[in-house]
Amino acid sequence: MSILGIVFSYSERENLRELTRLRTIASLPMAGKYRIIDFLISNFVNDGIYDIAVIARDNYHSLMDHLGAGMEWDLIRKRGGLRVLTPYAKSESGRDGLYRGSVEALSNNMHSFRRSMGDLVIMAEASILYSIDFNHLAKTHLNSNADITAVYTKQLNGHPTVPMGVAVMHFNENNRLYDLNINKDDMSAQDVCWSIGVFVIKKSLLMSLVADAMAFGKYDFLEDIIKRLSNRLDIQGYEYKGHLLEVSSVAGYMKANMNFLNANFRNRAFHRPIYTKSKDSVPARYCKGCCVKNSIISDGCRIEGTVINSVISRNVFIGKDSIVKNSVIMQNTEIMQGVSLDNVILDKDVIVRENRQLSGHETYPVVVEKASII
Amino acid sequence: MICGQKKEMIAMLLAGGQGSRLGILTQDVAKPAVPFGGKYRIIDFPLSNCTNSGIDTIGVLTQYRPLELNAHIGSGQPWDLDRLYGGVFILPPYMGGKGGEWYSGTANAIYQNMNFIDLYNPQYVLILSGDHVYKMNYDLMLDFHKHKNADCTIAVIKVPWEEASRFGVMNADEDSRIFEFEEKPQEPKSNLASMGVYIFRWKKLKEYLIKDEEDENSDNDFGKNLIPQMLKACEKLYAYEFKGYWKDVGTIASLWEANMDILDPNVPIELDDPPWRIYSRSSNMPPQYIGENAVLSNSSIADGCNVEGKVENSILFPGVTVGKDAVVSNSILMPGVSVSEDALIEYAIVAENARICKSARVGEWKKPEIGKQHREITVIGGSVTIGERAVVPAGTTIDESIIEEVGE
Repeated sequence: MSILGIVFSYSERENLRELTRLRTIASLPMAGKYRIIDFLISNFVNDGIYDIAVIARDNYHSLMDHLGAGMEWDLIRKRGGLRVLTPYAKSESGRDGLYRGSVEALSNNMHSFRRSMGDLVIMAEASILYSIDFNHLAKTHLNSNADITAVYTKQLNGHPTVPMGVAVMHFNENNRLYDLNINKDDMSAQDVCWSIGVFVIKKSLLMSLVADAMAFGKYDFLEDIIKRLSNRLDIQGYEYKGHLLEVSSVAGYMKANMNFLNANFRNRAFHRPIYTKSKDSVPARYCKGCCVKNSIISDGCRIEGTVINSVISRNVFIGKDSIVKNSVIMQNTEIMQGVSLDNVILDKDVIVRENRQLSGHETYPVVVEKASII
Repeated sequence: MICGQKKEMIAMLLAGGQGSRLGILTQDVAKPAVPFGGKYRIIDFPLSNCTNSGIDTIGVLTQYRPLELNAHIGSGQPWDLDRLYGGVFILPPYMGGKGGEWYSGTANAIYQNMNFIDLYNPQYVLILSGDHVYKMNYDLMLDFHKHKNADCTIAVIKVPWEEASRFGVMNADEDSRIFEFEEKPQEPKSNLASMGVYIFRWKKLKEYLIKDEEDENSDNDFGKNLIPQMLKACEKLYAYEFKGYWKDVGTIASLWEANMDILDPNVPIELDDPPWRIYSRSSNMPPQYIGENAVLSNSSIADGCNVEGKVENSILFPGVTVGKDAVVSNSILMPGVSVSEDALIEYAIVAENARICKSARVGEWKKPEIGKQHREITVIGGSVTIGERAVVPAGTTIDESIIEEVGE
């Protein structure tokens, strides 16, 4: 059975403020040198799935720039390979071109899925970071004879509550889904099964379900296919028990990055290679008088000052007598001398001039927009 | 039919040498594949120079232990050398209808691949070696070559007079025309050393390669035979002076020094040079993690490293781990080396995947410090294990694991 991976590169329910103003969530930098989507695409490739379609909706420039033709992920393939599916603006529809929901996104790109040699589809969202055995998932799906397999988790990964906006799923004693609701408030209940956005379905069934839903003007995959048809379709649950990061708010984004400072988490996240776009930067340089504690540093950095509990992306300069604490610094930023940063997220290409001080809080980090000069 | 596209100049990179003076570092790999500069291999320098100079067709002549070199070069994609017409080609010795033979010398290696060069029908051929660390624009050298209407242009660099006798020295007139070439002269008349970089007019080179092959007494070497033959025949040979950093990393001492040059802001080998990047195959490792107790000073650390101890004046290649309370100073740790807790490494080159166990002491200097210049470099071979509390005295070379504790 050959598998087609369909990746949603955007999220309909995130609240990442300035971080996603100029980019789609999938291309959000993560753990220093990566973008969130690297983890999912590497997961597919590591499991031998080389046929991947990425659905883009809006502001996908940085995503396209990052993925290119898929070379770094070994996805320049004659059979399969990587396809980034940008919105197909139909002039007669008279709308602004944005999909009305995930079903329409699937429907408008069906021509590409149809052409794929894969007959089993694994759908996934790029906004959640995990490492799952897709082959085991596919095998379980086939053995269970289910129509759809929905992956859920009970992990909260340090969060006190189930994240806002995720789908909470209810299964009966036969592990069959009978209800679904979107989490709208801070639900703290234990043992809640919430969706990590991964579904397995035969391509032929997906095609007919999507065509059917479109005919009825139903556009949401979760509400209008999974929930509405749960009494007619056999939707089985599959529990994911590994590590997991959910990024839908700025504080969550900060916390997700900080997770990588934990050795156990790092070992699990990187036990198989994670591929990313190569920048051909030089190795990181640590100058005399620098001080680095409990931090992730990427190549191309030049550290003259102090870095504590932070995640530093590629080609970052940190000047003398500067202190960077509890912060996430994205690529190509320049922090001059005597600067002090605490609980700050600096987006790409930012310059922080001499002796500036910025300080946020764990629950509300300061976000400095791309290419700002402070 | 193989269809070559006519190229103005193609490069032939001699990468078949063992580099025997590097000892155990080249036991299993050819010298051009020896790791250098934190994430590179020596061959990345000439390959990147070619790409940055606009040369897109390169034949890499391999002979000695080519496995790692072949894997490193692959399709040539990291250097942008996966091309529709041209690109990088690995050219090992091959069999023909009348038998085949090993490359007997640098000139013979090119002679055996004349068909390859003819495929691209170039006007000029650039001959390079995979043994040197430098950033050079070959296009400027080609301009010089055309301007002088030369048959052969040899890149030269000024070396200190006292070292000139270690090199092939060019004696040239004020117009840069070479009138004499001396290989390792006792009393050098000039301090212009050959860098092993030549541009030939292909027709002329071909003529001399054939002539040289007919000469049974020839060693089929560029420096020893071909260049002197051309001089004898009064061909137009010119010296092109290169002003910049160039280092032959042929010995343990020079390999160590050239690596340390990267850490020295006063040495003009800036690798962080976006218009002239040095490309290499990516290690695909996660970014480095620097621990709570790490102390770092004047060091270059690559992806995949995990540092908990103290690292000063050192170069850590991808995937190196340094445990708590371990001290690494003035050393080069090649990819995948692990240094356990409380170990000490000083003035050493530790080859790929070696393991330095807890409290081992490598390169420890017992005598009072006389001056850094005279410290001998300790070398630990690839995949060697230095056991707990073992002591490796300064200046020794270890190519077999030491498991037992060695007494004081």
